[in-house]
Amino acid sequence: MRALSLLVAVIVLGGCATLGVDRPTVARAGGGVVVGESDDFVVVVPSRTEHPDSLARTYLGDASKGWMIEDFNGGRRVFKAGERVVVPKRPWNVSGVAPTGYQLVPILVYHNLGAQSKGRLVLGADAFAEQMRYLKREGYRVVTLTEFVDWLRLKRQLPRKSVVLTFDDGYHAFRVYAYPVLKKLGFSATLFVYTDYVGAGRNALSWDELKSLAAEGFDVQAHSKTHADLRRASGETDAQYARRMQAELAEPPRLFERQLGRGVQFLAYPYGRVDDAVLARVREQGYAAAFTVRRESNPSFVRPLEINRSQIYSEMTLEQFARNLNLFHQENLR
Amino acid sequence: MRLAAALGAALVVGGCMTVPTRPELLVPTRARAKALERDGQLRPALLEWKVARAIDPGDADARANEARLTARIEGLVAAKLGDARAALQRGAPLQARHALLSALALDPSNASAAELLRGIGDVEFATHTVRAGETLASLAERYYGDRTRAEVIWETNRLPPGKPLAVGAVLRIPEIRGVPFHALGRTPPAAAVAAVAPPRGAERAAAPPPDEPPEVNPLLADVRDAVERKEFASALADLDRFLADNPRDREGAELRKLALYRQGQSAYEDKKYDDSYRSLTLLAKLQPDYQDAAALLQQARRQVVDEHYLQGIRLFREERLPEAIAEWKVVLDIDPQNVNARRNIEQAERLLKALEQRKSR
Repeated sequence: MRALSLLVAVIVLGGCATLGVDRPTVARAGGGVVVGESDDFVVVVPSRTEHPDSLARTYLGDASKGWMIEDFNGGRRVFKAGERVVVPKRPWNVSGVAPTGYQLVPILVYHNLGAQSKGRLVLGADAFAEQMRYLKREGYRVVTLTEFVDWLRLKRQLPRKSVVLTFDDGYHAFRVYAYPVLKKLGFSATLFVYTDYVGAGRNALSWDELKSLAAEGFDVQAHSKTHADLRRASGETDAQYARRMQAELAEPPRLFERQLGRGVQFLAYPYGRVDDAVLARVREQGYAAAFTVRRESNPSFVRPLEINRSQIYSEMTLEQFARNLNLFHQENLR
Repeated sequence: MRLAAALGAALVVGGCMTVPTRPELLVPTRARAKALERDGQLRPALLEWKVARAIDPGDADARANEARLTARIEGLVAAKLGDARAALQRGAPLQARHALLSALALDPSNASAAELLRGIGDVEFATHTVRAGETLASLAERYYGDRTRAEVIWETNRLPPGKPLAVGAVLRIPEIRGVPFHALGRTPPAAAVAAVAPPRGAERAAAPPPDEPPEVNPLLADVRDAVERKEFASALADLDRFLADNPRDREGAELRKLALYRQGQSAYEDKKYDDSYRSLTLLAKLQPDYQDAAALLQQARRQVVDEHYLQGIRLFREERLPEAIAEWKVVLDIDPQNVNARRNIEQAERLLKALEQRKSR
């Protein structure tokens, strides 16, 4: 039986191996047939069912660039043998603006996690894991905050289904409940910690823990010193306000440098609150990007010191969670 | 050695799943590129031509189309940036925003457009449901305390010119930087105001300092809108009147060039090559190096020549000789070096003469 099928295969192979003059003649192991190639594109006809990631490994030398192939070919994640697939060799739409509208990137904010949900801001571990698995299953690509900010500077194109994960305050629960899930799924995340809280009691992450998380590729950024509203309080004099801002904005970078051996580029506003005076101070202190909690996804032309983030609350169903993942704003720009 | 291996692999692979030939792959790629361009999706169309060129680097048609579309996109991007700057100057951030987004849709890595767009930020606006008896001027009075701002509402909502407001229509009333904005209206009938978006002002402690209201020449603003609406003839007529009174006005002069350019471009797109050629020729007299006008003029010229030449041939075949000669003379007017047209005219004239001689006999 097996011998017979082998024989048939040989006959078929032998019988149909005739090449026309205009038939493409370059093949690569595993990836199928290269029909043609320019500086911008490789055009491929896969020899078997392929996924964007496997094609990216073959043609771009990096499976994590599969999104480029997926996005260029209409967001498809499976390619059948014999169809035309275009492999872009470099970014083709950096800002994500197209004739039909523009790309949006959601940034999610988590706070505390726990074995069970408690109140709005303590999210149950199971619900969190379910949300992360949802992102994976639905083909979202978790990108780092640095990649996101590079996108705002038009230095990099982001996947159509990008999402950024951020965790505010610096709870120890991140290490216990979020870390294992993120590790398993290969997701990156940014922690915004306020420095007075670091190492303060059982519920907070310590500098040592932050250091080892940073060493594993998690991004640690500033969330002020005391987590007070950064807007001027009523009755605060100019001098008092200036002194307070100096402590809230300049001390975290100094501490980060000393404790983690590296500086800080980003700031999450405590309570997401900001006004023009705060913006001016933050700019003055050299933060490259700063984050509110305005529930909206971001276009590439969002103002870098007023980037939107969507808070995920414990009472949200998976469906409500998914509503924060807007990826495209439709608008006729023809 | 490696080549042999690759060839072997290709034989096997090619044999088993019948890889389409290059021409077979090019057909749908070309069709897609053309469909995208027809749909106004110029950047995706350009990418599709680039894919065609990757499939077959020797494909002259793909190469030519890529070059043509690249030039067209460059011209459009420059025009959109100009529109955006002008809109910003006359205090119309929503228009500027749209022009800049359109520029980015054509050229997604255009840093100037992205930067200007960032500068605009969010434009606040109210949503208004039109009630019986309301006019643009009455809405302007309600929201801005200034009836002359009616234009902005008209522009923002891209309303047809000169028609009364439709009762029940939902309009967006934008904030104008530097003009007090009564987002809820000054005398708000509660039902008329549906929502105010985005709900942001409340969170801001201090409003940004109001900018100086920009100087706007209303007539030029009208002309610009007419150009936007592709009403080029009326735009140019208004400009002529304006420039007769203000012969040194730079903005007016620039606007005339823009109008001619857009007229030429639009006519070209509509395949009205004669019209396109006429506008672009006028523009070339004003400024030969205006954006990509010279290239476009050449294209239009070629199309006009082809069109009249072929029309001549058609008429000749129908034995309408004098008319055929007239068509070829048009060709010679535009392109005096056109040997074929000259030869055809001579031949037709000989034939005509012979026919007349036979008739007179």
